[in-house]
Amino acid sequence: MTSVFRRMAAAADAPVFALAGAGMRWAVQDLRLADGVTLVDSPRSASILLVAGELDPRLGEAAARVHDSLPHPRATVVWASGPDGLAGADAERIGHDADPVAAARAVFRDLVLGRRQSEPDLLPDMDPAPWRGVGPYGQGGSGMTGGTPYGRPMAELGPDRDGLRLDVLPTRLGPFFAPLPAGLELDLRVAGDVVVEARVTGSEVGTSEAAGRSTFVRALTQPQSIADLELSRARAHLRWAAEALRLQGLRAISLRALELARTVAPGDSAAVGRLATAVQRTGVYRWSLPNVDDRRRSLLADARLGPVSRACGRAEDERLADPAYIALGFAPIADVGDGVAAVWRARFGEASQSLDLASRAGSAVTTVTGTTESPRGRIALGDAPTARALELVPALVEGLEWGDALATIAALDLDLDELAALAGVTAA
Amino acid sequence: MSPLLDVIAAAAAVAGLLAVGALALAIGDGVAGAAVAGRPIRVLPLIAAPFARAALAARTGSTTTERPDGAGRAVAPALLAGLAALAMVLLPLAPGVALADPDTGFVVYSAAVAFVMIAVFLHGWSPNSTLPLHGAYRFGAVALSFQIPFLLAMLATALPAQSLSIVRIVEAQASLWNVVREPLGLPIYLVVGLAVGFWGPLNLPDGDDLAGGTSAEDAGLARWLWQVARLSMLVAVAALGAAAFLGGYFGPILPGPVWVAVKTGLLLAAMAAAQHLLARVRIERFVGVAWVLLVPLALLNVFVSGAFLL
Repeated sequence: MTSVFRRMAAAADAPVFALAGAGMRWAVQDLRLADGVTLVDSPRSASILLVAGELDPRLGEAAARVHDSLPHPRATVVWASGPDGLAGADAERIGHDADPVAAARAVFRDLVLGRRQSEPDLLPDMDPAPWRGVGPYGQGGSGMTGGTPYGRPMAELGPDRDGLRLDVLPTRLGPFFAPLPAGLELDLRVAGDVVVEARVTGSEVGTSEAAGRSTFVRALTQPQSIADLELSRARAHLRWAAEALRLQGLRAISLRALELARTVAPGDSAAVGRLATAVQRTGVYRWSLPNVDDRRRSLLADARLGPVSRACGRAEDERLADPAYIALGFAPIADVGDGVAAVWRARFGEASQSLDLASRAGSAVTTVTGTTESPRGRIALGDAPTARALELVPALVEGLEWGDALATIAALDLDLDELAALAGVTAA
Repeated sequence: MSPLLDVIAAAAAVAGLLAVGALALAIGDGVAGAAVAGRPIRVLPLIAAPFARAALAARTGSTTTERPDGAGRAVAPALLAGLAALAMVLLPLAPGVALADPDTGFVVYSAAVAFVMIAVFLHGWSPNSTLPLHGAYRFGAVALSFQIPFLLAMLATALPAQSLSIVRIVEAQASLWNVVREPLGLPIYLVVGLAVGFWGPLNLPDGDDLAGGTSAEDAGLARWLWQVARLSMLVAVAALGAAAFLGGYFGPILPGPVWVAVKTGLLLAAMAAAQHLLARVRIERFVGVAWVLLVPLALLNVFVSGAFLL
């Protein structure tokens, strides 16, 4: 009976929580389409921890903490990472060219059938800081709130915002919070469901050669095929859409966007149009995405964040300075409505436009000007749109409800790989 | 039979109905998801998947958080499942056949729906962790907004029956179903029913933007039980919705219980489709729509239903 039960369990999709290291963001995203594994948003619901690529050494302890959050039986698969990838774990290590799905399935099966030992904790089970409170329930300060017992601040009453004084709860997100890029860390203070204060406290995921080889980074120093560049842009927008749709609870359409990102070809703008129509029919523009007030709109317009700035009415695009694009009749798509929904429409519109450009570009190549328009905005040596966007994050999200804040951050398409790659280009 | 055996038989019947319904919804959700994603619909794996997930949950150990409310964590899924069972007890399966037919069946059902908030808040509060707590706050923030139109939509069905008994409410639809008599009722009921089961566009406490929200710290059997309890609540909402608006067991040719199953299945199919076809609604937007649109429409529905009786 036990054997039958275990075999049934082993037949389930392997629940995997992934830590996407440098240059592996999209490789991990592709696993959502794979049969036999399910990428989950919480390590508590995973059996397998997948460490993909190199992680910045500063993320080591956070990665170990995620590891210890997995319930038993658990195992780790380290994919395309050096010997330091999650040091200490008795992990299954596979090379870059190996199939992570097959490896995760095999490890999962052995684990569930009892052929493989569950991994022990990597960190000691102890309080993160010495007890500094005064009461028996961890309150630490006066009354029932406040104080910093165990080194962490507790909720305390915030100022009166609208006739109701609410607890202000300090909340740290990241560096492995599923709705955000791996490596991004935010410290929030949240009153009810409203973010009253935000700080970006970490944005390192590590560096990889793959990220430095992106078409857009290479276009800074060498002419690139416009057809290739625009196809990459369309794919990047569709991959962004897959994540943004998922954040709004639209997992099935998210898979459709991801499948399209992998298979789309120059001239397939009709396929993007059909996806955009399906997205519009979900009501996401009408009832899911927040508005952007004039102050935020101005900040976003000035930051040269590509489709984000253009959706806010600023028709700036580095491609306008390239004679090859002018010859193709390129004109930026700008000012397509209000709020975050406008950014969504802009990205779908630009994905479609890029596929059209790719089909007409022939053998045309870009002109090297020292700047390039990436899917996230203007890039140059040592200047990444993600860096500019991160500076804006506190001003953008303070005062927003939680879901609105995350939808706004998602609209920025933060790419820590591109950030690291451009910093690396400067150093070189 | 002795009273004890009666109770055991009734409990087994309710558990069986909820289990079958929850399984149907889980499979339907998989089918709808594959269809919307444009992926192949492989029927056998989709049917086997819930069983495999259950076996895996049983094989997976539990986890704990720092200083949780252990009793609360244990009670929350049981409370939610218990509320679903309480609602199902009231379901008329055939003329004169219901596990319980209190004169105040409507009130009992309404109380079960109201207590869902307690279960969800307890589930989010008890892990002593930030993401579940945010999920709990969210549900508390929207609960009143959906409970009032929910109660008003149900109340309108009690007027033609001139009774608060669910059995009488079904009997009053012998000649005309409430979905025709009061067409606003079922749409309002379905919208708020999604909120009661925090499902699809109204999955606010367990949303993806909270990495699972009140469930973010759940592992293994605890996670599975919570998911089953939620599916059970949705089944109860669908079954009672079929009874209150779609004439329950009334229908040609087929036996009454089959009609109950068919109509419940239709509403569950609508819920499964909503999960994949409708985006999650912003809290502020939902609360606004609930108070400004759904409550007045539900009141209008009550007045119109009453006017027909004059």
